[in-house]
Amino acid sequence: MTINRIVETDSPEAFIEEIEKIQGVLPKRINANSKNVEKGLSKLVLTLIELIRKLLEKQAMRRIDAGSLSEEEIERVGETLMKLENKMQELKGVFGVSDEELNLNLGPLGDLM
Amino acid sequence: MEYVTTKSKDVTLLEVLDRVLDKGVVISGDLVISLAEIDLIYVGLKVLISSVETMERLRGAPFASPMQEPT
Amino acid sequence: MRIYTYAIIDSNNEITAPINGLEGIGVYNIPYRDIGIVVSEGEQIQDITQEHILKHEEVVEKLMESFTVLPVSFLTLFKKEDDVLLMMQEYYSDFRENLDRLRNKVEFGIKIIWPGETIKNRIIEASKKFNADVTIPDNSPGKSFAKEKFEKYKIDKEFAEEADRCIALLDDFFSRFITEKKLEKLKSDNLLLNAYYLVEKEKQVDFKEAFERTRSTPGDLKFLLSGPWPPYNFIVLTKNGDMFNRKPINQNLAEKNTL
Repeated sequence: MTINRIVETDSPEAFIEEIEKIQGVLPKRINANSKNVEKGLSKLVLTLIELIRKLLEKQAMRRIDAGSLSEEEIERVGETLMKLENKMQELKGVFGVSDEELNLNLGPLGDLM
Repeated sequence: MEYVTTKSKDVTLLEVLDRVLDKGVVISGDLVISLAEIDLIYVGLKVLISSVETMERLRGAPFASPMQEPT
Repeated sequence: MRIYTYAIIDSNNEITAPINGLEGIGVYNIPYRDIGIVVSEGEQIQDITQEHILKHEEVVEKLMESFTVLPVSFLTLFKKEDDVLLMMQEYYSDFRENLDRLRNKVEFGIKIIWPGETIKNRIIEASKKFNADVTIPDNSPGKSFAKEKFEKYKIDKEFAEEADRCIALLDDFFSRFITEKKLEKLKSDNLLLNAYYLVEKEKQVDFKEAFERTRSTPGDLKFLLSGPWPPYNFIVLTKNGDMFNRKPINQNLAEKNTL
């Protein structure tokens, strides 16, 4: 039986490499038995916190870009962002979650970033 | 153009997986059998590429996918 | 016993040409009003392999030869036919709308790689030169943290803007023959574009020609084309309360003049 479908590219390795980068470590569907539910939950929680942290950071950058913050405000924002980032590192350590593991595909939410 | 190498079959597989696993009609609700009842092999990219290679070794022939591109 | 589902089709008739599904069991159409859902019965499979996945896709594509199909996500299972019918009742208006909208249309995927790392490095180098003679008199860790982040932000922003310009050009070429599209930009630094295009069957050849012409223009880009696929990326289900899946309007057509 002939299939009409084609998949053609002149650089299969290059595409495999890139797709590998974005697939992330989480499987597309998680086998929800008790063993890995816990680890899955901490990853989920941390990813959400990280999302919020990144949003705050991005918002701050936009305001600096627009010139709407005074030097003093920039200093305070910088300190806050620094503390958030350090806290995040701490949490990652506590839960044993690496940077790559936080790479959930956010889908449409990704556009917010 | 035709590509009969392992790598391009992997790309085909990736394209299929990208669609079939969580796109199309995704139905939620009580009527659907919960996935928890089913053992899913981890369908990560690396695992699958090695599966293709393993299968080729086991069968001693290029993995004869039902999705053979027309020559 | 389990019921595997493959696709919703725009027919309530029996399937005449036999098709084998998972575990080699023949598929059949469960009619519901003026549509149907193609399924097969099976025992519980312990380990899901890529053979199962490819077999599922093979069934959907065979159906696509004769019907308009709404491909069902892999491993959507039901205990019994009654459950399937209840589901069809719940989703009927969604399925009906999708079947009408997707009649005679197929999906193509285009992925494009660009030398993202090179381009980003160029931007970083330029930014370094620009900031070279700006001294930052600093005893304030907060301020230097913010400024460091801001420099990175500017680089990312410029990188994204350049990507947008490049994508707009390319997308313009492909969009002449499409009715809907979904673009994912810069999923990684090098993966400039991951695009899904919905194309009318009669325009397939035109679309592929447009792709070939674009691909052959000189440049540092790498291309991948796949298709025709069942319309996996153009299913819109309102019943799931899917607020991110807005109904794809003809806004693309209004801008792009594709008709």
